[in-house]
Amino acid sequence: MRKLPLALLALCGGIALTTATAVAQDSAALVELLVKKGLINDQEAEDVRAELIKENASTPAGKLSLGSHVTEFKLGGDVRVRHQYDATTSQGAGTSLHRNRERFRFRFNGDAKLAGGWGAGFALETANAADSGNQTLENGNADYNIYLARAYVSWQANENLSLVGGKFKNPFQTTDLVWDGDINPQGLSETYDFRISEGSLQLRAGQFVMDDNDERKGSGPSYRDSFLFAQQLVYTNKLSNGVSVTVAPGYMFYNNASITGNNNETAFDGRTKGLSIATFSGSVKFPNVGANTLSLYWDSSYNFDADTRVHDIYGLSDSYGDGATAWLVGLGYAKGKGKDQGDWSVKLDYRRIGIGALDPNLSDSDFAFGHMNQQGIKLGGSYNVTSFASIGLTYFYTWDVQKSLKHAVAGLDKSSILQLDLVTKF
Amino acid sequence: MKKALATFLAAALLAGSASAADKLVIKGSDTLGAKLVPLVAEAFKAQNPEVAFEIAAEGSTTGIAAITDGTANIGMASRRAKPTEVSAALAKGVSMKPTIVAYDGMAAIVNEANPVSQLTLRQVEQIFTGDITDWSAVGGNAGSFSIYTRNTSSGTYSDWKELAMKKRDYAGSSQKMAGNEQIAAEVANNPNGIGYVGLAYINVPGIRVVAIVGKDGKAVLPNDETVQAKTYPYARPTFFYTNGEPHGLTAQFVEFMLGAEGQSIAKKIGFVPVAKQ
Repeated sequence: MRKLPLALLALCGGIALTTATAVAQDSAALVELLVKKGLINDQEAEDVRAELIKENASTPAGKLSLGSHVTEFKLGGDVRVRHQYDATTSQGAGTSLHRNRERFRFRFNGDAKLAGGWGAGFALETANAADSGNQTLENGNADYNIYLARAYVSWQANENLSLVGGKFKNPFQTTDLVWDGDINPQGLSETYDFRISEGSLQLRAGQFVMDDNDERKGSGPSYRDSFLFAQQLVYTNKLSNGVSVTVAPGYMFYNNASITGNNNETAFDGRTKGLSIATFSGSVKFPNVGANTLSLYWDSSYNFDADTRVHDIYGLSDSYGDGATAWLVGLGYAKGKGKDQGDWSVKLDYRRIGIGALDPNLSDSDFAFGHMNQQGIKLGGSYNVTSFASIGLTYFYTWDVQKSLKHAVAGLDKSSILQLDLVTKF
Repeated sequence: MKKALATFLAAALLAGSASAADKLVIKGSDTLGAKLVPLVAEAFKAQNPEVAFEIAAEGSTTGIAAITDGTANIGMASRRAKPTEVSAALAKGVSMKPTIVAYDGMAAIVNEANPVSQLTLRQVEQIFTGDITDWSAVGGNAGSFSIYTRNTSSGTYSDWKELAMKKRDYAGSSQKMAGNEQIAAEVANNPNGIGYVGLAYINVPGIRVVAIVGKDGKAVLPNDETVQAKTYPYARPTFFYTNGEPHGLTAQFVEFMLGAEGQSIAKKIGFVPVAKQ
């Protein structure tokens, strides 16, 4: 039988030294080309292919089998190591409480594109708080649990409409004023792309399950499931001078039901009554400002039922000022997109949160530890030491909007948090 | 007594091994195993009457598995072994060695009464994936497609999926047949039928081969020239798989298959011979 020529063996060896993926994707075309050029015949090409497959099969990647309906499968994640300093002063306490914590966060996610416009994915992470993946280092050299942060099925019904069900990434254009960036909503989400000629216009909607209650045990808010219904229009346009503008008006409301067993960092267990919130967020990005990108961003909310919320749920009958409104305005300045060595960014925002303006279970858990009735700043910066690793610093300083509001969601006088981070992506 | 018993056992073992050495077990592809290999085996046996054959044509997957399991000398395959199959074989110390024994063109066939004489690559994909469901969408008479495919253990099933369907799934309405002959028979009996068969099966009465319009706009029918020149889009090599380089009787049979007589038989029944290299 024919022996493999030395040149072909060298070719096999050379190709096999590349990654398994590269072998799978590139060698077929290369072998075909060699056949077309008449440098090798079909049988020799088969021998090369067989050798390459054997080489590939001996690698871990070569033992991985994906169904033919999987058109793309991405695995990725990150590890963040953090030192955190906290200081809080409760209303009327006078003195601050200080705390230092060493924390870490691990995230691992997989997203598959499937045939026919289908998709599916998952994300695993440390800590079961909905609004944080941080695990504080504690208990000797304890090991820690991993939790399922996302598990979803998606379907691109046509070029306009896409649907997602399960527990998934937040589909809305937002900031951490309204939605903590760690929260993965659960339920259903729909995005309709209007395919306009200039820019992009999308209608996004979500029907999110906030809690499951047992209807068999009675009637009323404590026994009915809690839902959040949210919808938003998102318009984005890139102007001829490179400036891009995004504006996103939205509206969200809950049914009147109970949430118990909440595991947010600062959890609010209670009724979802009195939350009918209009939101308006957006950004303007100016490229090439001193060779970098300057961005102006904002977010705001107005709760039409703030009075009901504050009186009936928080039990406050005193004057509480403008508790129906929350807003944020910020500036960012960045070199690159945080993907290359030497990229950096800085951000500064000011925000003010009225006591009845937001759902305390959704807003950022770091700003005033998730409390309402607070105003203050968030200052952050990061620097990429490599394309995949960065160091970061974030500082929050907040103080109360109105004093003497005696409820857990509003009982903070002032707070500060300093976070020093080292993040690596994989 | 002990010596006599040992002698008897040795003789029995020798007899057994001699018997095994004269038998070739060939399993796998229906495309190869239904016609070509039995005829070549018959010709080989005419020259080597002491050789016995056991041939089972139940799909390429079974042929590759048989080499991995060591239950066949030759695994017939109308497709290449998948990386996972090669990996599984390596884990058992088996090294898959492919030898091209002939070329084949997978022909798209329709009922002879069907007015459609050619289809584009895209139309073929749309038909077999279920993107379109009616003959009127490709210029035929109104009527739903009756799609006939091979079963999942068939190499032709996966080759067609790869070459004609961009690896997409078959339409849910498609009907799986055990072999080429069954597909040809169903299409011959059904005016709305469409299927695919190897070149060796295109002369069945009642069916007609559809030309395939390639990216260059030219309609191409499968034949010796277009398959060998690779201008027909659904052309493919067919293989004998062995555990490493074949030796002994297996090597003799592979050489015979590749020789003048074997290739002549291949040509006679519709395969495209391996060009002399």
